Order: sequence, then C-alpha cells, then structure tokens
Amino acid sequence: MSGSNTIFTRQHDVDLCRLAANGERRAFGELVRRHGSGVRQLIRRMGAQASEADDVAQDAFLAAFERITEFRGEGTFAGWVKRIAARQYLRRLQRDKRLAAYAQDAVGDESHGGSAEADGRIDLDEGLKTLSPTERLCVSMCYGAGLSHAEAADALNLPLGTVKSHVKRGLEKLRTRLAPPDGVALDGRRENG
Amino acid sequence: MAEFDFERRLERLFSEAPDFADAQAFAERIERRLDRGWTARRWLIGAAGLAGGLIGASQLMLFNVFQRVESAEQSARALSLGLARATPSSDMLSVLSGGYGAWIAGGLAVVAMGFAVSRVIEEI
Repeated sequence: MSGSNTIFTRQHDVDLCRLAANGERRAFGELVRRHGSGVRQLIRRMGAQASEADDVAQDAFLAAFERITEFRGEGTFAGWVKRIAARQYLRRLQRDKRLAAYAQDAVGDESHGGSAEADGRIDLDEGLKTLSPTERLCVSMCYGAGLSHAEAADALNLPLGTVKSHVKRGLEKLRTRLAPPDGVALDGRRENG
Repeated sequence: MAEFDFERRLERLFSEAPDFADAQAFAERIERRLDRGWTARRWLIGAAGLAGGLIGASQLMLFNVFQRVESAEQSARALSLGLARATPSSDMLSVLSGGYGAWIAGGLAVVAMGFAVSRVIEEI
C-alpha cells in the first residue's frame, strides 16, 4: 500500500465518502479495499459465478463512485453498495433472460434440498446451495443486500406475495440446513453477538 | 429459535464475508478504471474547451476585431481631446449596431458556450 493510501486506512467510511465525493479516488479505493470482498461475496451468494460476481461488483463500485454524493451516511456504505450491486446483478439476469428461466425452474423445485451436514459450523454458502435460484435471490436480496420484500419484488419484477413465499421457503430450508441437531450455538461464536 | 433471531443471525452471516486473497488487486483494478475515466474526462473537457476557444477566436479574427479595437482606441483618444467634439460611445454603438457587432457577439457566445459545455461535462 502506498504512503498516500495509508492516511485513508484510519478514516471512517463516511469521511472517505466525503473525500471521494470531492474527487479523491484513492479514498474511494480504500472503501473498495474494505468492502470489495463483501460485495463480491454477496453476488456469489446470489448465484453468480466468481468471475461474473467480480464484474458486477466492479461495475457496482464504479456506479457508486459516480453517485457518491447520493450517499448521505444514513446507512452503512457497505449496505448501500450492496444494494447497488444486487440490483445490477438482477439487471444482468434480466438482460440475459436468466431471471425468467429461474422463475420457471422454481415452480415445484425441491430438488436442491439437501440434508444438514450438521458439523456444528454454519456454512451459509453451502446452505444457500440448497435453495432454488429464485429463493436464493430473494433471501440474498432481503438478508444480504438489506432490501425490503417490496423492494425485492420491485427489483425482481415479481408479485410481493411471490417474493414473500420464496423468502419463507428459503428461510425454512436454511433453518433446516443450518440448525445444528443439538441446538447449540449455530456458528460456534457467541450466541447473542 | 425464534424467527426473528434466526433472521438477525442470517443477516449477520451475510455481513460476515472473509477478505478475498485478491482484495487488494481488486481495489487497484477499480482505482485504475477510475483513473482512466478521469483522464478521458479531462481530455474531453480540454478538447471541448479548445474547440470552443478556437471557434470563438476564429470568429473574432474573421470579423476584424483588431481593427475595431483600433477604432475604439481612436475614439478614446478623441474623448480625451474633448467631449464636445468626440463621441466615442456613439462610434462604438454604430460599430456594434452594424453587422460586425452581431458577429462579435456570436463569437463571444460560442466561447461562452464552449465554457458552459466544458462545465456540464465536468459535472456529469
């Protein structure tokens, strides 16, 4: 890391956003360093391949830089970028007509369901693989990108009730997949953290 | 486990993403793209300003602005000799009210437009 970047590592996200809004690209680079992995991981969790997730995340960060003045610091920067990235990924799916295919696959799709490995360690990524593509999208958008059900329905162009059903089914599968058989702390970390 | 607790736990799990090994390279790639975009934008702004300036300057040259300036100087000299005799303002007005004045105004408008376009592009 260069010396000029070192001064940014101690700054808060909101301060870095303010600097980025003034055209300081190194400050924005620090934000990418902090939150890039989270955004890339979210897109992968939504179902994208690694390279596609990186492309989407990259485009999302570039879009975020262009719109950085819109970020008022009301939520977290990470959450804001994740919402941008999630919507960009959905647009890509819609453009490639993959979203419609997902919706069709989702009808009566129970083939993805798997049994819990129950090794006492939560593996969200493995858990998400047990969901149908649409359930995965809905759950990731609502719990990963922080969208409300209504926002997710709007972004997915699906009825609100359908999204709620997908989320409910997805949560049920995840609960089954993630819950340890003996009811101990799911992730091996503190229970109420 | 209550539904609410599970949902909070799920949100926390989503937010806990380990840093990828290439996180630094990913950030540098984005910085490079931002730099490239910025450089391109500066070239575009410069080119727009230059084009506007050239057009404006050519308009001024074409319509013999220097000659007009000389006549304005002469008017100013005449003014220093005596207000009763010299009427530089009316000379200037007569120059500007003719066809030349319109062309000069047009040239200046083009220059102003060049600056305005540059500014808009910068804002975008």
